[in-house]
Amino acid sequence: MDRNRRFIVGASIIVAAVAYLVYTGIRETSVYYLTIDELLSRRAEVAGEGLRVAGRVGAKSVQWNPATLDLTFRLANFEDSDGVAVAYNGVLPDMFAEGRDVIVEGTYARDGSFHARTLLTSCPSKYEAEAGAEVAKE
Amino acid sequence: MVDLGLLSLRLALIGGLYAVLAAIYGAVARRPAYARSARQAAYAVHALVAVAALVLWRALVTRDFSLEYVASYASSTLSLPYRIAALWGGQAGSLLFWALILTTMSTVVHLQNRERNAALMPYVTATLMAIAAFFLGLLVFMTSPFERLPVPAAEGADLNPLLQNYWMLIHPPALYLGYVGCSVPFAFAIAALATGRLGDVWIRTTRRWTLFAWFFLTLGNMLGARWAYEELGWGGYWAWDPVENAAFMPWLSCTAFLHSVMIQEKKNMLKMWNMVLVLLTFCLTIFGTFLTRSGVVSSVHSFTQSGLGPFFVAFLLSVIAVVAGLVVWRRPLLRGENEIDSFLSREAAFLFNNLLLVGIAFATFWGTVFPVISEAVRGIKITVGPPFFNKVNAPLGLALLFMTGVGPVIAWRRASARNLRRSFAVPLGVGFATGAAIFASGWRNYYAVVCFSLAVFVLATIFMEFYRGTRARQALMGEPAPRALANLVGKNRRRYGGYVIHVGVVMVFVGVAASSAFRLEEQETIRKGDVVQVGAFTLTYQDIHFTEDAHYSSMLAEIAVAKNGAPVGTLFPEKRFYKKQQQPTTEVALRSTLAEDLYLVLGSYDDATGLMTMIVFVNPLVNWLWIGGLVMVLGTVIVMSPTAAEQRALAAALAVEERGLEAALR
Repeated sequence: MDRNRRFIVGASIIVAAVAYLVYTGIRETSVYYLTIDELLSRRAEVAGEGLRVAGRVGAKSVQWNPATLDLTFRLANFEDSDGVAVAYNGVLPDMFAEGRDVIVEGTYARDGSFHARTLLTSCPSKYEAEAGAEVAKE
Repeated sequence: MVDLGLLSLRLALIGGLYAVLAAIYGAVARRPAYARSARQAAYAVHALVAVAALVLWRALVTRDFSLEYVASYASSTLSLPYRIAALWGGQAGSLLFWALILTTMSTVVHLQNRERNAALMPYVTATLMAIAAFFLGLLVFMTSPFERLPVPAAEGADLNPLLQNYWMLIHPPALYLGYVGCSVPFAFAIAALATGRLGDVWIRTTRRWTLFAWFFLTLGNMLGARWAYEELGWGGYWAWDPVENAAFMPWLSCTAFLHSVMIQEKKNMLKMWNMVLVLLTFCLTIFGTFLTRSGVVSSVHSFTQSGLGPFFVAFLLSVIAVVAGLVVWRRPLLRGENEIDSFLSREAAFLFNNLLLVGIAFATFWGTVFPVISEAVRGIKITVGPPFFNKVNAPLGLALLFMTGVGPVIAWRRASARNLRRSFAVPLGVGFATGAAIFASGWRNYYAVVCFSLAVFVLATIFMEFYRGTRARQALMGEPAPRALANLVGKNRRRYGGYVIHVGVVMVFVGVAASSAFRLEEQETIRKGDVVQVGAFTLTYQDIHFTEDAHYSSMLAEIAVAKNGAPVGTLFPEKRFYKKQQQPTTEVALRSTLAEDLYLVLGSYDDATGLMTMIVFVNPLVNWLWIGGLVMVLGTVIVMSPTAAEQRALAAALAVEERGLEAALR
């Protein structure tokens, strides 16, 4: 029985280590994940915070300078009635286009602009084509 | 033809349900005629699913755009291999493909066990057919691949261009074979629980199936990483996306099972734990399928909200309920007959290896579902990204790498000081020496230093095993060294094949550590004639070319490459524009050597100004990741190849089991 107890201690150490790593990992790396609608309704609360926001690229809002790689666009809600201005610097992802769903990661400044560090396009899933086909049908 | 496909699916569903009922009735009421009839039904289900798959394949190959599925995933310019691959390119087709693989495996299992395992087989039939019926139910009632369009489309929407890559021809089938392969050990585990025959037989019968599933899970994960590396153009191969995690988690629990099952075979311990691992692995494959189809976890991969999610949840919950009930019921029979004697023993090493693997799987699971949990608990979605997974899994992975060196060579029961010295003195010495040498040379990336030291330690333990084994054969049998080595491996395939797999694992660790710790990345916007210097590479932008065919148009930058001043060739990073889907894709240009990969991406090109943006990555030692994957796969083939001794062990276990069965019937 004594042996077994020693083992339980050994195993507990591993379990505790995993729990500790998960706990600190989440505390240090997690960010709020909002839809654009949630961001718009909580503007004041989340200003100045690091965020990950999902929305849609607003129609006729994309400005892209290939020389400086400066990109600005409006991250809009799905009705394209409201949104926030996003600034990003870097190469355009392949799937980036007006009307496409994107996820931006960065900070929402108090003046209402969003500085994106990363720009992710909803992409490389095999099921994506289906969504694409639906959009085309509309 | 389409009606034939529909009809086949419906009949297959009915046949599958019949097989479940007949098999269980036959087993419970001890009427073997019903069990036989269930087996026949399982063959019929396989045939019917195959007919349905052939009908869909035919429609894809002949470009029958009156079918919604064909019109969504193929086009008139899509080449034949990709039209064949379009069978698993979309939701409904991939479920049909799943059902096809599952029923094919069911047929193989039934043929293999025609004369054996009479007690277990009815439950195996019932389990496999219940899983098949679930997928067939989805295909018949929820998402049919044989939906017709009101008006036939003139042209198809085409397969997603990102999937038009040769790795995509083999990555999904490999992963599906791995996923579905886990159903066979699961079915035998259920049968063992249901019959109470929890001895060696089910484990020996399914050992090769588990290895088969593991082989394809390994291959599928590797091919997926390779696809991401070549096609997505961000310089990496693994982003901890939910879809990747979905494929990684069953691999982890399957790996844990393959190790702990050895302890059961040798020591008759950990029975309960093994059972839990088999069941967990199967649940993780279903969970993975659910993740990729439900949209419950938002991923960079956008998932169609298909409405299949609740069905997967219901299926998963009923599986867990049945399994938990069976395990609790049979708990007395799952007690081990031995205890672990010492920390310093192989049993303990395997147990710790298992805890680490399950720990990594748990951390990965937690990170994947955390947004859902945080939303349920706190009302706001909180997400974790790659930094979380790297931070948690890197230390656990390194501990696992250490156990890779310890587990196979430490003595059973209780290691003596002599055993420890003999097995580990030299490897620990060279491991520490490597670490010290790397540290002295000025590297300060601690993870990389530790990883390389451990890699050398593990390789040293494995080398010593081969060396000592070969020397012993040379001395005993008088064989020359190469022959002795070949015989050593050939006569102990499980052991030495396992070492080969471990060598592959070490290579993977080295490739991952080096390419993530020492990667160079540079982004430059340049004009023709400009020169970019990245590490040892001098890159000259010479020209840009445009080409076009019916399927896509493309532009290619011509980049002259010199390393340390000496020209080594020309690379052509490419941007394609797929016409049907109006979508650009990145085609990476690679110069791949054992020392490093030069990875060029054509980011953008502006016609008006002539400015081209190029992203350059230098990924050191990344090739060892792929080579390591190949070595792991090769090692698995060695481990899987049957040996006479193993056949005898299975026959003996079966004989014991049959005698027990006859006694019970008498």
